[in-house]
Formats: sequence, structure tokens, C-alpha cells
Amino acid sequence: MHFPTVLLLSLIFFSAVLIGVLVARPGLTTTRAGKILAFLVLFLLPLLCMAMGFSSELERSKSTSFCLSCHVMESHGRSLFVDDPSYLAAAHFQNHRIPADEACYTCHTNYAMFGGFRAKLNGLHHIYVQYLGKPHDPIRLYEPYNNRECLHCHLGARSFEEGAVHTADPDLLPAVKANKMSCLSSGCHDVVHNVDQLSKVKFWTGGK
Amino acid sequence: MTVTIMGLQKRLRWSGITLIIGLVVEAICLLWARPIAFIVLVCVGGLFCAAGIIMYLYSLVSAGEPTHSR
Repeated sequence: MHFPTVLLLSLIFFSAVLIGVLVARPGLTTTRAGKILAFLVLFLLPLLCMAMGFSSELERSKSTSFCLSCHVMESHGRSLFVDDPSYLAAAHFQNHRIPADEACYTCHTNYAMFGGFRAKLNGLHHIYVQYLGKPHDPIRLYEPYNNRECLHCHLGARSFEEGAVHTADPDLLPAVKANKMSCLSSGCHDVVHNVDQLSKVKFWTGGK
Repeated sequence: MTVTIMGLQKRLRWSGITLIIGLVVEAICLLWARPIAFIVLVCVGGLFCAAGIIMYLYSLVSAGEPTHSR
């Protein structure tokens, strides 16, 4: 368990104990000190606990394990361990080109303005679909993958800007940067998760 | 006056019980690593905590009101 979670649980326990004291002996609030204690325990501490709890859950919703805890995402999780560097998601995950514990969020959030907020809304939609709806089979993106998400990390990187394939055609990089040519669907990096092929590939076991 | 204090203490007690329920729900959600935990935390835990805080604030406001006895 992460330290912030332990700290928050301790705060919740501490608050609950103090509230319990006030519930058992409400007469304490007749004194001035008791009134201050009641304000602290019945107003400030619960507000703090809820704010911290909300923030903690939002942070946890970015974790790879959180995304993969839905049954429908299991095959996408397995695809991160494919032992084949042509699998884009696996190569990024296994070589820590993205944070391994926030792998899904890093590539699938939206790096535009309010992108994080939109990602959270999509997350709520995912939860709705998981428990009350029916997920698409196979899972698909809401909209075509935008190069902006790739360029968030790769723009300016030497291997990207000066790579032999990228510089062979002088029109290629401007088109990629303008999102006129997709990194994924243009045929260059088109093996991403390919979950329908998982029965035919080898898996890397080093990271588990 | 005694009646007012008794009423105030009763409201504080209910406020405290509601808050404890909310905090227990929050603690369970923090330990329960499932996507539904987020919804339960906000909708159930948040609701109980908000209700407890409102009850406490109401008890403060109502404590200043004069009581009418027949």
C-alpha cells in the first residue's frame, strides 16, 4: 500500500475516533474548547478527508492496474508483454518509454487543453459501460488516435527529428506534426495492441 | 434552555454518526482497488459526509433560535 494511502487511512481513523468521542459525549460541546473541537472534528477533518480521498482515487484511476482491473481490458494488458519490438504498446511499456505504472493513461489521455478533464469523463463512461452497459467488441477508440499524443514526448527528440526514415521524405515530418499523416494508421507504426493476434505471439516474462 | 441543549446534542450525535458512516465508506473504498470504488466513494461516502456536515452546520444555526413550548 502506498504511503499517502496509509496516511489518509490514519487520518480517517483518527477523525472517526474523535467523532466517536463527540457522539458518545455530546455534552463536551457545551464548553468553548468543546465547540472548537466539534468544528474541527465535524467540519474541517471530514472535508479534508473527503478532499484527500477524492484526490487519491483520481490519482489511482491513472494507474495501469486500475485500467486493467476491468475484465474487458485483460487482453490489452497482456499485449503490453508481447515479446516483439514491433508491438508499439509493448515496446513503450517494456522499455519504460512511458511510466510503466501509468502506461494506459500516458498514451490515452488527451494532451490538449482540458485533456485531463476529458480523460476523466471518458473514464466515468468506461465505468458506466463496465457495470451497466455493454463494451464494444473489439474495444475501439472514441476517435482516431491523434499524433499530438505521440508528439507530446517525441517532438524534439533526436531519434524522431533525425531518424533515417523520418527524414527520407522532407514532407513526412511536417505532415506528421500537422496530424495530416497518422503515426499509427499510415502503415508505419500500425502494430499497436493487436489483441486478436495474441494467441500467436511469445510473451516477455521479465517484467512480471 | 435544557430542551435546546438536548436537541442540539441530539443533532450533533446524528451528524457524528452520519460522518462516521461516510468516513468508513471512504476507508473501504481506499482499500478496495476496483473502478466502482471511485463511484461509491463520491456517491455514497461523499453523500454521507456532506449530510453529516450539513447537519452539523444546521445544528449550529438552529442552536440560536428560541424554542417555543406550549
